[in-house]
Amino acid sequence: MIETQDLTRVYGSLCAVDELSLSVGNEIFGLLGPNGSGKTTTVLMLTTLLRPTSGSALICGHDVVREAREVRNHISYVPQDMAVDIKLTGRENVALFARLYGIERRDEKVDEVLAIMELDSRADDLVRTYSGGMRRRLELAQALVHEPRVLFLDEPTIGLDVAARQKIWEHIRALKVRGMTIFVTTHYMDEADHSCDRVGILDHGRLVAVDSPARLKNHRGQDIITIRISGSWDGRVPDGVRFLGDEGEELVFCARDGSAMVPGLVRHFEQQGATVRSIAVRTPTLDDIFLSLVRTRDEPGGFDDHRFRTMLRRRS
Amino acid sequence: MKDVLAYFQRDLLRWVRGRLAVVSALVMPAAWLIFVGLALPTTFTENYIDFITPGILVLTMLGASLQGGSLLIFDRILGFLNKFLALPSSRESILFGKILFITTRGLIQATVILILAFILGAALFPPMELVLTYAILALFGLLLSAFSTTVALHLSDHDAYAAFSAMVSMPLFFTSSALMPYEVMPAWLRGLAYLNPVSFAIDSIRALQVGVILWSRLGALLVLAAVVIGVSVYRFRKVTL
Repeated sequence: MIETQDLTRVYGSLCAVDELSLSVGNEIFGLLGPNGSGKTTTVLMLTTLLRPTSGSALICGHDVVREAREVRNHISYVPQDMAVDIKLTGRENVALFARLYGIERRDEKVDEVLAIMELDSRADDLVRTYSGGMRRRLELAQALVHEPRVLFLDEPTIGLDVAARQKIWEHIRALKVRGMTIFVTTHYMDEADHSCDRVGILDHGRLVAVDSPARLKNHRGQDIITIRISGSWDGRVPDGVRFLGDEGEELVFCARDGSAMVPGLVRHFEQQGATVRSIAVRTPTLDDIFLSLVRTRDEPGGFDDHRFRTMLRRRS
Repeated sequence: MKDVLAYFQRDLLRWVRGRLAVVSALVMPAAWLIFVGLALPTTFTENYIDFITPGILVLTMLGASLQGGSLLIFDRILGFLNKFLALPSSRESILFGKILFITTRGLIQATVILILAFILGAALFPPMELVLTYAILALFGLLLSAFSTTVALHLSDHDAYAAFSAMVSMPLFFTSSALMPYEVMPAWLRGLAYLNPVSFAIDSIRALQVGVILWSRLGALLVLAAVVIGVSVYRFRKVTL
């Protein structure tokens, strides 16, 4: 469905996406990565909104540059901005897209997608009165109206409450069952773990891992050890243990067979004059895998684009 | 064309439902008509309201068109533009939909102003003159909305666009032939006013009032509109690719 070969995009001196080669079949594919790692740039190239600097990408066998129009016939794109017209009703928002897609028997199709997204009872209310989750489902309804083969979702659950997020993912999984390929970017590891068939982890524009969440968590066979100490520590670790980072007061390490490493670690810290106050060993989550693969966890984003857009939306 | 109308209808619905905006855009031209048109003591004409009406109609189009550029800014900032660009329909129809809507909205506002002018005592336009006046206003609207939409495409945010709009609207109006005939202008203003595209439209409409089609001014307006719309389409293709 999606095939990329050395896909690259350079902005000035910054290489936003670096020789990305990826093959996505009929599945829910999650692209994960810290802010600024190139997720959105990748999606923009795949949806024909941005020209790659080099490399190529095929969607359903069509080249995103040379056959852009044909690609757009097969895809839908839902950006993260939550762009629905609040002064229009839900039905009018979807009808606009149905017209632009040139759908025959438009009214029926609009009713159908609104029903799929469970918005039929509120279809004739102004979107101004919709909750965040409903607005996102309305965008999904817009995207479904021409029955795309591939659906691109950029941060589909950002800014939504837990219940709304779950609902969005239920719908995304249901769409996959109907035969759609879904390419999604997200920050939320637990959601990706739960719903994606495979995930790719992007760091500084480079793909550092691609696999199913379960295999990513298991294949390293490593445990996560969290230690709380008081006193100083020189940053050295015993053999076989790797320091991942610190989360507040807790130091996070990973090691194969973590329980067996505990006595050694305690001795190591005590030799340095620090006191171990607590220690915990657990199997890794996707969060830990992510943390161990990307170079810095909190890349300081230069500018909080999303917050800015939300602010503007309130003004309009 | 079908796509252009779909985009047009979207903007129209959004405008009509934002009730305050429908009225607020009329306040300034109406104020000009009433407080300047009726009150200014002029020596060059007996009936200043007749003289100033073409200028205020064009001012209405100018304001509506410049304000219209912010529509594309918001579509871009809020993510609508990317959604539309990812559709298989033709991308230029986004631009044409905007130009069509902004011009239509301007003409609707100009109609209200025209009715107000008649109420305030301006001479009624005969039918042919009325049709041609609308044609000239529409042409001016197409020119200015293509211009403002293209500027909007290149500016980063709404504040920058508001600054641009404030910077060009008043100078364009005051350096035009809207408020006084060329004969009474100081020499330095006369040349400026003659070259100002806003005057192209005003002079053309004023000539209609005495039953003349002023081809030199109308021709200039036509050529400029064609050029600006051409550049606008070219830039839109370039930027959205």
